[in-house]
Amino acid sequence: MTNPLAFDFMRRALIACVVVGAAAPLVGAFVVQRRQSLIGDGMGHVAFAGVGFAALLAIQPVAGALVFAVAAAIVLARPQRRAAGDVTLALVFYGGIALGLVLLGRTGAGLGRLLGFLFGSPLNLDWGQVAWIAGLAAAVAAAVAVLYRQLVALAFDEEAARVAGVRTDRLSLALTLLVACMVVSGMPAVGLLLVSAMMVVPVAAAARVARSYRGTMLLGSAIGAGSGAAGLLAAFWLDTSPAATVVLAGIAVNALLATGTRLRRGASA
Amino acid sequence: MSDVLAFDDVTFGYGRIPLLLHADLHVEAGEFVAVIGANGSGKTTLMRLGLGLEHAQGGTVSLFGTPVARFHEWHRVGYVPQRAGVGAAIPLSVEEVVRSGLAARLGPLRRPSTDQRDRLAHVLELTGLAGLRTEPMARLSGGQQQRALIARALVTGPELLVLDEPTTGVDADARVTLRESLQHLVQVEGVAVVYVSHDPEGFAGLADRVVEVRAGRVLPCDDPSAHGHGHDGSATRPEGAA
Repeated sequence: MTNPLAFDFMRRALIACVVVGAAAPLVGAFVVQRRQSLIGDGMGHVAFAGVGFAALLAIQPVAGALVFAVAAAIVLARPQRRAAGDVTLALVFYGGIALGLVLLGRTGAGLGRLLGFLFGSPLNLDWGQVAWIAGLAAAVAAAVAVLYRQLVALAFDEEAARVAGVRTDRLSLALTLLVACMVVSGMPAVGLLLVSAMMVVPVAAAARVARSYRGTMLLGSAIGAGSGAAGLLAAFWLDTSPAATVVLAGIAVNALLATGTRLRRGASA
Repeated sequence: MSDVLAFDDVTFGYGRIPLLLHADLHVEAGEFVAVIGANGSGKTTLMRLGLGLEHAQGGTVSLFGTPVARFHEWHRVGYVPQRAGVGAAIPLSVEEVVRSGLAARLGPLRRPSTDQRDRLAHVLELTGLAGLRTEPMARLSGGQQQRALIARALVTGPELLVLDEPTTGVDADARVTLRESLQHLVQVEGVAVVYVSHDPEGFAGLADRVVEVRAGRVLPCDDPSAHGHGHDGSATRPEGAA
């Protein structure tokens, strides 16, 4: 059997997938608890418009994606926007992906390039892109560590956190910015449409067996990193889409833990 | 004695529907005030105004003599909301929930001080949760979950504790424990308590004063067991309400 790590492109892909898999659940734990599991998905749609603008201006796609995702985070985190409900979000998100398609179409980008942005192309990363992914993911992880206690208070009970003196509006903005950064960090590896799954799926799996918030985050991070590695290696041997296989590996872990928990409950009943 | 919470001539409504009209209420330090009223009468809204979660359209709301919009000493206030959010998507241990009450006091990356750790242990002991600190909230009974939320509200050593319907979904044994905890808070720690409830049994024998929110006003209530429901159990709204 061919050793996948004998190839330089596989080593780069492995680092990128493991880093994104480990960092995404650190943010995902808070969006899942706040029942905003799809916000990363929507942010990916907006970031796609940024990719289109970047292509038009001939600058780095991640730079355009970051600018658009951060702008969307600032707009969407405003309390009156949050109160406006899901129709506003839908307009922003679908508008983003439509604009991205139009702009990329103007630059003559081929289907392969389009799919790379949407579903990731970890096998095509250079070391510079890997460094960018790792740097942004590390910044996200560091910010979560700094804001951890306030974020737990916000996620568990926003109003009680407000009365306890937590600046919840600022903190909500910070959390949405972290989602935006995580989406852009994961874009080159797993794509704008699948990075959200890396935030949510490992957390959902970990929550089945963990007994605390911290435990869920750390186990979710381990499951994310493991899914990143296992999914990429499986994709190499099975000749499947790497990002999609990574996400399916996470879903398989979730299914295994769900079955195990059910069997254990059945045995103890 | 100084007021820890004061409503003066407060008016508030949702849209064009007035809920509170020229409402007045003063709570003194160390006082236990029960606030009753029918469903929809505005008693929860009154407390939300007091905590700065809603903004009065007229009149003034003050905490410890400072208008609530300018109030920053939130460690002096503890809030126990109606038991919502406990059915969390992610498991939280009892200790994590109680510690989250310290979030604003700790600041980024700061570990709890010895005093804060002692206080945490004290409130877990006081609420009878010391042996359950690592248990996930979802595995606790309704009464234990309620006590965890009370412990969270007490962890900063507040001088005012506001409880909103604390006995909802709580069994008889847990009600007894809750009463004992509140008795200790008032008598030993001198905490002022505002207890919002439609159930007079929860505060009987504890409250210094009972007031009723009715027709947009806060009125003294001598007989809490017969507080003012309409025939259909709905609230009496202020004149001019839609």
